[in-house]
Order: sequence, then structure tokens, then C-alpha cells
Amino acid sequence: MSDGGNPFGYEFMNFQRLLDIPMDISPYNYAATGTGLAIALSVVGAAWGIFITGASLLGGAVKEPRIRTKNLISVIFCEAVAIYGIILSIIFSGKLNIVAGNAFTNADWYSGFAIFNGGLTVGGCNLVCGICVGIVGAACALADAQKPELFVKILVVEIFGSALGLFGVIIGIVMTTQAKFG
Amino acid sequence: MADITYETCPTSAPFFGFMGVTAALCFANIGAAYGTAKSGVGISSMGVMNPQLVMRNIIPVVMAGVLGIYGLIVAVIIQGAITTPDNTGATVYSSFTGYAHLSAGLCCGLSGLAAGMAIGIVGDAGVRAVGQQERLFVGMILILIFAEALGLYGLIVALILSQQSYDCSANGAR
Repeated sequence: MSDGGNPFGYEFMNFQRLLDIPMDISPYNYAATGTGLAIALSVVGAAWGIFITGASLLGGAVKEPRIRTKNLISVIFCEAVAIYGIILSIIFSGKLNIVAGNAFTNADWYSGFAIFNGGLTVGGCNLVCGICVGIVGAACALADAQKPELFVKILVVEIFGSALGLFGVIIGIVMTTQAKFG
Repeated sequence: MADITYETCPTSAPFFGFMGVTAALCFANIGAAYGTAKSGVGISSMGVMNPQLVMRNIIPVVMAGVLGIYGLIVAVIIQGAITTPDNTGATVYSSFTGYAHLSAGLCCGLSGLAAGMAIGIVGDAGVRAVGQQERLFVGMILILIFAEALGLYGLIVALILSQQSYDCSANGAR
């Protein structure tokens, strides 16, 4: 760091280093973390939604036992979110390969970034989708307990909520179609 | 002044582009999920008192879902523009394009998040009010439209930003 005529008296010379920071982490790590996040965050979302729905469903069924079978569909909607996550993570894990001598090409770095962000997208979208469907499912169970005709109408709201997880799956698949190692 | 050179198409450039895709979809989905859940709970509570109004009052949920669609549109557009390294193994995707895509994704995503929170809170209060006083329906819709417009502004700016690109191909054309 030299003066270089700068009135501040010092000069930070190498911003190129900032562009190289994402490459301090190996592409294997990026791809594996993405695979892990896809399943992990999806399962967290599904579990969160299931316990929110399940608690309200069981509480409401104390006085109205007839609601318990129909409202399991809300639990199934939450479970579907976890299924999306496991399918995508199996797809991503199939793309992991050894690169001979760890001599990574630009295409390997691209693949690492793509799988990381694909997994993060899938996991993040499924996380919020699961929570959303869980909250609406809980409300649906309690409304159904009071007026049976409301069940189908509130189910429409749940279907809108479950579309959010599908968006994540679509983008996750499209992002990683050209990702391959080796 | 020392000679500072930056690589135009470094290997790390796609990282920022992909983070833009993730930001666009995940944040917009958080907003859409919040709007759907909050309004859905309001509709369920209102429906116990006034079941025939439930189908009309699903409008806040539809508007929240549209925010997720905005995120999906921007994500598809951005990820279609992230080019793989070419046959010789050189990166064609520049940092300029990467940062433009990151900003486009953040624009759409965070605007969608904000709009979704607004739609959720207004939808919840609105449907409960409409359940008791039907004449408030048009007022609720007007407020929801103003909230939805915020997400639309984010989409517009994201689409404009995503058109910015620079390639490190043979002639460096845009």
C-alpha cells in the first residue's frame, strides 16, 4: 500500500481479491451444502406446518371428532413439501462427482454455485410454504369444526399456499440442468 | 496511480447471478406465504359467522399468490441469462451482469416480501370487517390494490435491470 499521490495517504490496491472470495470455498462444498439445504430446510418447513396443523386439529377434534379424517389432508399438503425436498436433493446428489486432482475448471465452479443456489431456493421456498400451509390448515380445522361447509372453501386457500413450494422446485430444477462435475 | 486491473469475467461471476435468482424467489415467496397465511386465518374466522362471503373474500389470498408469480418470473428470466462457460472453458458471464442480476433479484424479492406483509395484514383485518359490514368490500379491494402495486414496482425495476448484460465473447458484444 503506497501513497501514489492520494490525499488520504494510502491506497487499497487490489479489489480483484473481492471477486475471488467466493472461490475460497471448494465447489464440492458448495454443491454438497446445496444438496443438504434442499432436504433440510424442506423438512423443517414440513415439520413446522405439521405440528401447527396437528395441534389445532387434535384440539378441535375433542369436541367434534368428525373433523379428524377430512383434515388430515392439510397434514398431507405439508408432507408433500418434504417430498419435493427429498426428490430434489436426490437429483442434486447424483450430480456430485470427483474431479481428477481437484483441478477445477470454470464449469465446475459454475456447477458448484448452481447446485448451492438451487438447493437454497428449493429449501427456502419449501420452508415458507410448509409454514403457510400449516397455519391455514390449523384455521381450516377449527372452522370446519364449527361449520362443515367451510372445509372445501378454506382448502382453496391451502392450494394457493402449496403452489409456493412448487415454484421453488421448478426454479431448482431449471437452475441445475447444466450443472455437472468432472 | 498503480495499475489496478479487474478480470471482466472472473470465475466467481455466476455466484452473484445465482444469488439473485435465489433472492428473487425466496423473498417473494416469504411475502406470498405471509399474505396467504394471515388472510387465510382471517377468512376462516370470518367464515364461521358469514359463510356465504368466503369465496369472495379469497381475493387477498389470490393477490398474495401473484407476488409469488412475480418472483418466479424474475427468477426464470435471470437464470436464463446466466450462461455456462464456453467450449474452451472460459467464463463468458461477466461480473457486471452478475451484479445486475443480483440487484434485480433483490429488487423483486424484497419488494414482494414487503407487499406480501402488507397484503396479509390488510387482508386479515379487511375480511374480518367485511364479514360484519358488507359495504366495506370495495374499500378493502382498493387498499389491497395499492399494496399489490408495491410488488409490481419491484417487478418492473427487476425486469429493467435484468436487461443489463455484458458478455466476454469474441467481440464483447452486449
